[in-house]
Amino acid sequence: MKRLIHIELLKIKSNASFWILVSLHIGIILLVVLSGKVFLHSLSINGENISNMVDPDSIPLYQFPDIWHNITYVASFLKFILAIYMIISITSEISYDTLRQNIMNGMSRTDFIISKLFLIVWLALGSALFIFFTGLIIGIISTPDLQFHDMIKYSGFIPAYFLQLTAYLIFALLIGLLIKKTGLAMGLLFLYTLIVEPIIVFRVKTDWIKGLFPNRAINNLIHMPFGKYALREVQDYVAFKEVIIVLVYMALFIYCIYLLLKKRDL
Amino acid sequence: MNNVVTTHGLTKHYGRIRAVNDLTLDIPEKSVFGILGPNGSGKTTTLGMLLDVINPTSGTYSWFGNFSKKENRQKIGSILETPSFYPYLSALDNLKIIAEIKGIGYENIGEVLKITGLYDRRFSSFRTYSLGMKQRLALASALLCDPLVMILDEPTNGLDPRGIAEIRELIRKIAGQGKTIILASHLLDEVQKVCTHFAVLNKGRLMYSGLVNETHHDELQLEISSDKNSELFTLLKTFPDIKKVEISGEMLVITLPGSYAISDLSRFVFENGFVITHLVAMKKSLESQFLEILNEKA
Repeated sequence: MKRLIHIELLKIKSNASFWILVSLHIGIILLVVLSGKVFLHSLSINGENISNMVDPDSIPLYQFPDIWHNITYVASFLKFILAIYMIISITSEISYDTLRQNIMNGMSRTDFIISKLFLIVWLALGSALFIFFTGLIIGIISTPDLQFHDMIKYSGFIPAYFLQLTAYLIFALLIGLLIKKTGLAMGLLFLYTLIVEPIIVFRVKTDWIKGLFPNRAINNLIHMPFGKYALREVQDYVAFKEVIIVLVYMALFIYCIYLLLKKRDL
Repeated sequence: MNNVVTTHGLTKHYGRIRAVNDLTLDIPEKSVFGILGPNGSGKTTTLGMLLDVINPTSGTYSWFGNFSKKENRQKIGSILETPSFYPYLSALDNLKIIAEIKGIGYENIGEVLKITGLYDRRFSSFRTYSLGMKQRLALASALLCDPLVMILDEPTNGLDPRGIAEIRELIRKIAGQGKTIILASHLLDEVQKVCTHFAVLNKGRLMYSGLVNETHHDELQLEISSDKNSELFTLLKTFPDIKKVEISGEMLVITLPGSYAISDLSRFVFENGFVITHLVAMKKSLESQFLEILNEKA
């Protein structure tokens, strides 16, 4: 196991696309998160009130406990950047024939999958920790009256974010392995995520069936929080049932990856 | 003698194409085993199956009597077709990854880089290497684990004559250490120079398997030339022991029984008033042997 982790580390250590995409991921998250305040402030200056009741400047976007829900929700949109890296990682192993060489040198196909899953968990964990510390710092700065129970309330969204990212990256790994070509795999991943599935989900009338589609299921781990500032009801917790759906999908994806790699001539 | 690998009825179909067909082959320990065959005869497919990167349609194989476990492959150094490494990593990092996969330490890395003459360029990324250097890094990676068996598929592809000679020397040296080498090639000359055993594949079928020197002893081939070749040709046709005379460019090529003394022929020609300007005894080449095998069974 230790060797498998070390192998993945050696592979990413001097990989330019890894460092570029990870920096991009972090940079854009910071940019988006920090621009929220500016956006609300500009709304306030222009005298626009949300629902004619709330002054935008007084919305506790960055305060505990709301910060956890808000920051993880916003950051979840940027999981596609890490998904791009995941696709590059697997498709380049195929196009450089290094996957084949790894097997020839004495890796089993299962070992190879495990090493890629390690990479996924690493990326998701790293991103979740980054979100955690960013949220913690912003929260401490922005909350006028720090209470410990406020600080930990809603912090369950951090593990939910981790799970969400892990599941999506496993999905990206599957697509990359299936399609083999970098550009095509990325195109199809986004086509499916952004267009095909949303259209199908839109056509489906029943709510619980909507939640069974893979991307919808993954996104459902963190529901949109902002409605509550317009006094609408939102789901401000991670639902157990929705976690189970995602876990089932993860198991299914990993099984498909296993079958695909086992049957394939490299 | 033990076998390092045995195959039984190994078969691979790609749709209707039979890339490898019912291959049963034993490769003995400590041999330098050449696998010959024209392009597309199934050499690489066979090696791919032995290395677990191609799933056989049917049939089995077993390394060291231990079937297809990954631990077997950790003791095999292999190059299949083109060298495959992470282009953005240095030679050093690429070899570290291989060492991790093979479950060994980094101690040998410096040494194999020195053997293959890449030590000075060990920090350069693989993509900056020339084809010859890439080929040598592949060889370094195959040597890394001090392998029991080395599998080399066209190891001299793209190398200059000096590189080819170096690789040949290296193969002899490694074989001298009691290792088994499996060498796939369509360059017969290469196989003849280094191999002890060889097998011939054609259209996925095994045509022949045996020792390299086994079949040469019954015939002797001579290349001869004199001041008057056409008259010599007529004369030699009357010489009782000669099996065959052919004109080949400026030379005459004659085939004699293996036991024949060349001095007798030389005296006969001289006594008939010819002056010999060129006389070479040729070992019957693997190439002609190879072509015979292909023609016989075709």
